Amino acid sequence: MRPVLNNFDVRTKLAIVACISTTAVVIQNAYVLLFLLIVSIVLSALFYGDLLKTIKATRRLWYVFFAIVVLQSIFNRSGNALFDIHGFTLLTDVGLLKGLEFLLRISVIIFSATIAASSDHREVVQGLVQLKIPYEIAFMVSVGIRFLPLLRSEFIDVITAIQLRGVDIRKIPLTKRLKVYSYIFTPIIAGAVNKARRLSTAMETRAFRAYPERTSYLVLKLVLKDYVVMIITLVCTVAVFVLYYIFGFPGRIL
Amino acid sequence: MLLAFIEAHDVCFAYDKKTAVITGLDMKMAAGSFTAIMGPNGSGKTTIGKLMMGIIRPDSGKILIEGDDTRQLDLGQTGSKIGYLFQNPEFQIFSHNLYDELTFIPRLKGAEEKSAALQADRLLRLLQLEDKKDVPTFSLSYGEKQRLAIAGILMGRPRYLILDEPTTGLDMVRKNILISILMKLLDEGTGITVITHDHRFVSHFSGQLLQIKEGRIIETGIK
Repeated sequence: MRPVLNNFDVRTKLAIVACISTTAVVIQNAYVLLFLLIVSIVLSALFYGDLLKTIKATRRLWYVFFAIVVLQSIFNRSGNALFDIHGFTLLTDVGLLKGLEFLLRISVIIFSATIAASSDHREVVQGLVQLKIPYEIAFMVSVGIRFLPLLRSEFIDVITAIQLRGVDIRKIPLTKRLKVYSYIFTPIIAGAVNKARRLSTAMETRAFRAYPERTSYLVLKLVLKDYVVMIITLVCTVAVFVLYYIFGFPGRIL
Repeated sequence: MLLAFIEAHDVCFAYDKKTAVITGLDMKMAAGSFTAIMGPNGSGKTTIGKLMMGIIRPDSGKILIEGDDTRQLDLGQTGSKIGYLFQNPEFQIFSHNLYDELTFIPRLKGAEEKSAALQADRLLRLLQLEDKKDVPTFSLSYGEKQRLAIAGILMGRPRYLILDEPTTGLDMVRKNILISILMKLLDEGTGITVITHDHRFVSHFSGQLLQIKEGRIIETGIK
């Protein structure tokens, strides 16, 4: 798909993400969350966010999310029983709804984040700096975002290294596989911390924070369309809150 | 003519599907023989090593390991036949300390703790790492990591070795130790392919020499 809205200021995108995520966290209603999910997907496509890549990159996390949904559904005792075994209630309608709401909320947060991720990381840092966030913090956010895929690639490297020593991870029993994962977890984290330490040394040697004031070659400028989009976003967010809290729209499923 | 352990037939590969890194690669490595792959930086030597291991798959052509196409083999199967040393040893070290690094895989495969420990001790002594047995792996120097990665590979007693820049970070003494280990392995029938710039290191071995430039073999020789 061609980028329709990709030339917007990163601060405009951050404002959209903040509004959508905040609404998803504050309002606990499946209809609203479903609406926000649709909005996130549409906006992500319009802003040229890479949804498929994000889903692929976070696919292992989705297993965890689904496990949480199942647990949340099972351990919530309120509502009417939907499924029970010999009088022991395993699943209630409220539990199922809470699980569904959790899944929708996580999806909204992840998918809406792809809107801001469609900007170059230098723009994100500069955007945060121009939002008066200290450069060190903005840079840390940017490095942190870049470290997540690094952690993932570190994990893949380790699994490849184990396989190259004659072990096919997929074919070993689950108990042994879990043993492998627990065994490599600490070294991977230690490796990432080590990389972070090396990065900080490299930055210090290149005079990071040597001067209190920084100038930047890249300066972002908000233009009329950015203000228009930001105002529309804010108005829509307020409208959702007013409709929900004052007019009780949309109603609750249960 | 010795039986080919690894063979490549008209292999082409590109990382981004546009710029070819390897083009029309044909080569044969006999079981128990020595091969050196040499060439300038960025010529595709490491890519050839990864293709041979099945870490990456050819876009066209095929690579066979004992007659089996790498596309049909998983990494575990290839890894049980061939030991592979990464260009950067950090990619293949995954344990807290040296002893665990060497014994974890054998234990995972069901080997006895005692025999794995004996083999680990022997290799740590051989590669002069015995005094670092319980040291955290991330505190090792580059050369020590290189030697540990080599020891890790040798733990599995593979029938063939592919070593990508094995002498990087090694001093002369350790380089000589590595040469004697590899010579002993060759005598025992283990095949070895070394990917390197180090002409002096290669000069200690006799076998096939493949000179690579821009993803092609431009010269083959027997020395």
